[in-house]
Amino acid sequence: MSVGAFTRAIRNISRRKIRALLVIVALSFSLAIMISIPAGVVANQESAQKLDQNYNSTILATEEQINQTTTLIEVSSSSGAGIFSRNFTAPAPGSYNFSGSPGGFGGYGGSFVSRTPSYLNKSIVGNVSAVAGIAAIVPSLTVSSSDTIQQTISTPRGDFTINRPLYTITGVSLNSSLDDEYPILPADIVSGTNLNETSTDTDVVLMSLNLTEYYGVGVGGQVTLDGTAFTVAGIYNPTDQGSLETRGVYMSLNDAQILTDNVGNVSTLDVYAANASIVDSVNTQIQTMYSSEIQAGAMSVTTYSDRLANLENEQAVYTDTLNSAESTVAQTQSVAAQEIIVALVATSLIVLFVMLYTVRERTREIGTLKAIGFSSWSIMKQFMLEGVILSLAAGLVGIGIGTVGASALSGVLLPSINPFGSRGGGFGGGFVFALSSGSASSSSSAVVTPMVMLLALGAAVVLGAVGSLYPAWRASRTRPAEAMRYE
Amino acid sequence: MSEVVLRTEKVAKVYMMGKREVRALSDLDLQVNKGEFIAIMGPSGSGKTTLLNVLGCLDKPTAGKVILDGVDVSNMPEREACKIRRDKIGFIFQTFNLLPYLNARENVELPMESTKRSKSERSTRARELLKLVGLSGREDHRPQRLSAGEQQRVAIARAMANDPAIILADEPTGNLDSENKYEIVRLLANLNINQGTTVVMVTHDSQAASHTERMLLLRDGKIAKEKQGLHSMKKKLICPYCGNKIQTTDQRCPNCKKRL
Repeated sequence: MSVGAFTRAIRNISRRKIRALLVIVALSFSLAIMISIPAGVVANQESAQKLDQNYNSTILATEEQINQTTTLIEVSSSSGAGIFSRNFTAPAPGSYNFSGSPGGFGGYGGSFVSRTPSYLNKSIVGNVSAVAGIAAIVPSLTVSSSDTIQQTISTPRGDFTINRPLYTITGVSLNSSLDDEYPILPADIVSGTNLNETSTDTDVVLMSLNLTEYYGVGVGGQVTLDGTAFTVAGIYNPTDQGSLETRGVYMSLNDAQILTDNVGNVSTLDVYAANASIVDSVNTQIQTMYSSEIQAGAMSVTTYSDRLANLENEQAVYTDTLNSAESTVAQTQSVAAQEIIVALVATSLIVLFVMLYTVRERTREIGTLKAIGFSSWSIMKQFMLEGVILSLAAGLVGIGIGTVGASALSGVLLPSINPFGSRGGGFGGGFVFALSSGSASSSSSAVVTPMVMLLALGAAVVLGAVGSLYPAWRASRTRPAEAMRYE
Repeated sequence: MSEVVLRTEKVAKVYMMGKREVRALSDLDLQVNKGEFIAIMGPSGSGKTTLLNVLGCLDKPTAGKVILDGVDVSNMPEREACKIRRDKIGFIFQTFNLLPYLNARENVELPMESTKRSKSERSTRARELLKLVGLSGREDHRPQRLSAGEQQRVAIARAMANDPAIILADEPTGNLDSENKYEIVRLLANLNINQGTTVVMVTHDSQAASHTERMLLLRDGKIAKEKQGLHSMKKKLICPYCGNKIQTTDQRCPNCKKRL
């Protein structure tokens, strides 16, 4: 068997294994960058789209709920428990336990963490009810468990884990005359009965579907919360309340107060004015009554218009986040284009320098080949072939690296969407974060498609050829008399 | 009158060394007949290598003609010159110049690569040639596993691959010890006698040169002197030292015991 140009190229490359290896590693990184960047761009676009979808559904749902409660004046134990405290039973950001910062905010009673730093005494119900024009007062107590559950959130920037409360208890005053008219309980019952329809108020709970799945109980089953056994009367679907992963437990106010060691305390008082036209006067009277507490920040009183204003703030924060996500996507595309060009040029340059070096080193060999009758063209072919084989090998390695490390590489190389928005932090930040994390947990990270792989292999061949063009031409121009230079 | 294989007519080669003009070859006339074994000698800078480059189509003369096998090759474009080198000329180098990543047989096959010969023909021919230079059984060895003398034998086999009109050897014994030197010159001499190969050998080594037929002494780019070598006697199967009858296979004269 005669040895052809291909075999000679392979043998030549394998002659200097370390060099070949280094070149292949260097080239493969450029190629890996090339293939992971498009994947990163796509991932960023998808994240932005999801953010947008969530925005629409959540803001609209919230607005609708606010609009249904025009007569509601919410009296809460702190300014922190804003509008979403009732419409969304998810904990406010104050009680998020990010891993690494143990302990909840304002820890209360060992097993539970107050969502607010203080509680209102139940005596407030009597005081407020003296105000004229009130149709109903619905007290409730909302407390998050100090037990947490880890939740992994994938973002274009990578995965990170946060600790969320395992569940949030809402104790509801189960006064049957008020329940239908002034809803505080979830409406979307999946199975069993709602709390206001049970035969007994004691030791029964309405639980969110995700929590019953977590505990593995069904309707009529027993569940133990902080040492006390409860019977699951009904299961509700939390998903209609925005994208928040709500783990809610509803029980009677009395049970909640005992369980969480909060006898005599409530966290929120839903005060319903008799009609919308007197909301302002009722509000003013309550505000006057508790002006010092409100001033001290221990209590907040919000009306429909306050909540609407808050929503508008949230919308502004969210719009910021969306805009920043959109500009990130645009920025990603231009950065990606630049980086791909850099990678392309780098790949060609690496091939160029290595092949130039090889040609210089092998001047005598080339001279000899010409002296024994090789044409310039066959010399050129030989060296082009070597360059292409090198970059093709690098292409295969690069596809491996790129496929495995696409997310990491594109995370490093591309700007990623900031789920907190430009004015993240505070309540709004938490809200937006909750939305985007809900989306991110179902979003895809950078994935390399077979099409991109094929393109990368094609690029490797072309870049190898381009990079070795000049060195191969130089080789082909070698004077055959070089064969007789013996130094 | 024997056939002329290679002939030069007033060949000149002028180099520019900075601003200084160097006449490496000056109106040199040379004639090599078919089947001759010639040595070109001369001090450093006398133009030996330049002459070999010009004769071998590796370089173009500034003036004059080089006629190889009846064809004027002195101003041939590279595209055609490479075919002339492949088909008509066999080169042997001082440093052997084998490709280190090819074994002996593959090295010998190299010049046949772009010829009409099939792969199996090339392989068969390479084996035959390696047998001819005494390297049977070493076909699969790469150069680093061969001794210097063996490497030069592979190079000789490679030079003969396409059955060239002439073999040009540049200091073929320059990198060899005395024993191998003798062996290589003897091999070239035997190929000359048995295969009729025309050989032009440039050498510093007067002892090696003395084993050729004709020794040309180059000085200042011209042939200054011409001398008969021992090979002309050996070709007639006569011992050049004592005049006794000899065989081509004899390593020493059976009569005077001198090395042939």
